[in-house]
Amino acid sequence: MISAVLFYGFSAFIIVFALTVLFAPNPIVSALSLAATMIGVAGLFFALGSHFIAAVQLTVYAGAVMVLFVMVLMLFDLKKEDAVSAMYIRFLKIAVAGVILGLISGAITLSGFSSNTSIMNVDTAAVAPTKKLAVLLFTKYLLAFEVLGILLLVIAIGAVSVSRIKGGTHAKS
Amino acid sequence: MNQDAFVVTVNIIKMSVIFLLMVQLVPILVWVERRGSAFIQNRFGPNRVGPLGLLQLLADAVKFAFKEEFTPGKGHKAFFYMAPVIALLPGVLAFGSIPLSIPFTLSGDGYSHTFATQVFDLGIGIVFVLGVSSLAAYALLLAGWGSANKFSLFGALRASAQMISYELALGLSLVGILLCFGTFNFSEMIAAQEAPLTFFLFGKEYTFLSFLPAWGIFYQPLGALLFFVSVFAETNRLPFDLPEAEAELVAGYHTEYGGLKMLMFYIGEYGHMMVASALMATFYFGGYTLPGLTVTGVQEFFSNTLQVESANLISIFTMLVFHVVLMTKILIFLWIFIWVRWTLPRFRYDQLMDLGWKTMLPWAIFNTVITAIVLLLRGV
Repeated sequence: MISAVLFYGFSAFIIVFALTVLFAPNPIVSALSLAATMIGVAGLFFALGSHFIAAVQLTVYAGAVMVLFVMVLMLFDLKKEDAVSAMYIRFLKIAVAGVILGLISGAITLSGFSSNTSIMNVDTAAVAPTKKLAVLLFTKYLLAFEVLGILLLVIAIGAVSVSRIKGGTHAKS
Repeated sequence: MNQDAFVVTVNIIKMSVIFLLMVQLVPILVWVERRGSAFIQNRFGPNRVGPLGLLQLLADAVKFAFKEEFTPGKGHKAFFYMAPVIALLPGVLAFGSIPLSIPFTLSGDGYSHTFATQVFDLGIGIVFVLGVSSLAAYALLLAGWGSANKFSLFGALRASAQMISYELALGLSLVGILLCFGTFNFSEMIAAQEAPLTFFLFGKEYTFLSFLPAWGIFYQPLGALLFFVSVFAETNRLPFDLPEAEAELVAGYHTEYGGLKMLMFYIGEYGHMMVASALMATFYFGGYTLPGLTVTGVQEFFSNTLQVESANLISIFTMLVFHVVLMTKILIFLWIFIWVRWTLPRFRYDQLMDLGWKTMLPWAIFNTVITAIVLLLRGV
């Protein structure tokens, strides 16, 4: 019973805030709603019993990435963005969101994923605890893990070098 | 009552108790802060209302409750009202996952239930606390932007930049102690700290001074120092209270707040300090345990020396004794927070960032690597 309440509660929470991300005219409201969506996803992970992934979702996405997004948005003068929220832009947003929603739900339906009910009836006691996750990550999936790390490093270096050549506050004088 | 409803009810009661504990501690801390700062600065502090000025708290509460409700005209109303509420939540949620004492059992005819003195025992303990407390930045951002005030916005931007920078050092300084205990779980960590202090040198085991417990501070002094310093930045306390530096930013992100909304920010800040102190006690100072104080010993003291008959009462009293041990440790750390605030001057913003990124982060990584190498050599 509790798990059903949690699931539907968090799902409603996620859907409401995801729609707000789309339809809010103000970019800051959009970004904060995206953060709320992340928190809702973390809540769903908690309800499924994978606590570690939930906490990482909170720390990394909701706690760090979105804070930076919101911070940068607050530095901009957003009066123009508020005014530009004309009808055609709204229709464009809804159309794009609808197309993506259709693609994803179509992909899920066609791939036969939805018929696999064993995924939906997750036994919370049997979900791998943190230690199991760590062991898998550092043995079986070590290469993928390290490659992802290198990818992130490359992205960081790329961001620094791009910000330095194009002028602006960090440009080489 | 069915099982689900029972569990939900118990958890709601626990959560309310935790919340009230935090809210009740705040006026006392404010009093300690004002009187303590007065004595540190050779003044008297509030001493007019009631004995030792203790009723000043009541007068303050009345003042906060009856102040004019004020909303900045050009601000974002929803954000402005949301921010103080959000400021309260992370502290309460984080405090709820820290074990405050040993579990106690209530039994009678036909029922017996063991209540954990912790709202939710997640296997991942500390990761959850870090995740939840990283959300505190939103309260400051919402307050700063919702107020439509330049000073508020500057304060909010500084606050979030500072919190993100110090979260790295905070998280990394904890990795050492997590490696030592080999667990994320608070209860297991506290259980590990009950053993006598033991070191391994060149493959041999030495027990120094058998009365000393295996507290984390003896294994991770550098980690403890880094953790405590980054916690100061995380809670926005002096010497790192740049977000509300009154000489530059009026009052930072809560410039436009007054009355109860202002008080909620205060409760949030003190709640953060309480969580930090509780973590400090749990990681590095043995949590609710004390050398020489055992569960059976306390139970025997109540049943034999004080002649308490009921098993339920003995169980509750024993729980309370261990809770008092933890609370004493927490209060000591809270006093250190206040003491430091009135001793050190404020950092400059670039100094703060330099300290975070160029000093604390490398030392935290160094601590992690050294701990890992030592544990590897020991062959765990």
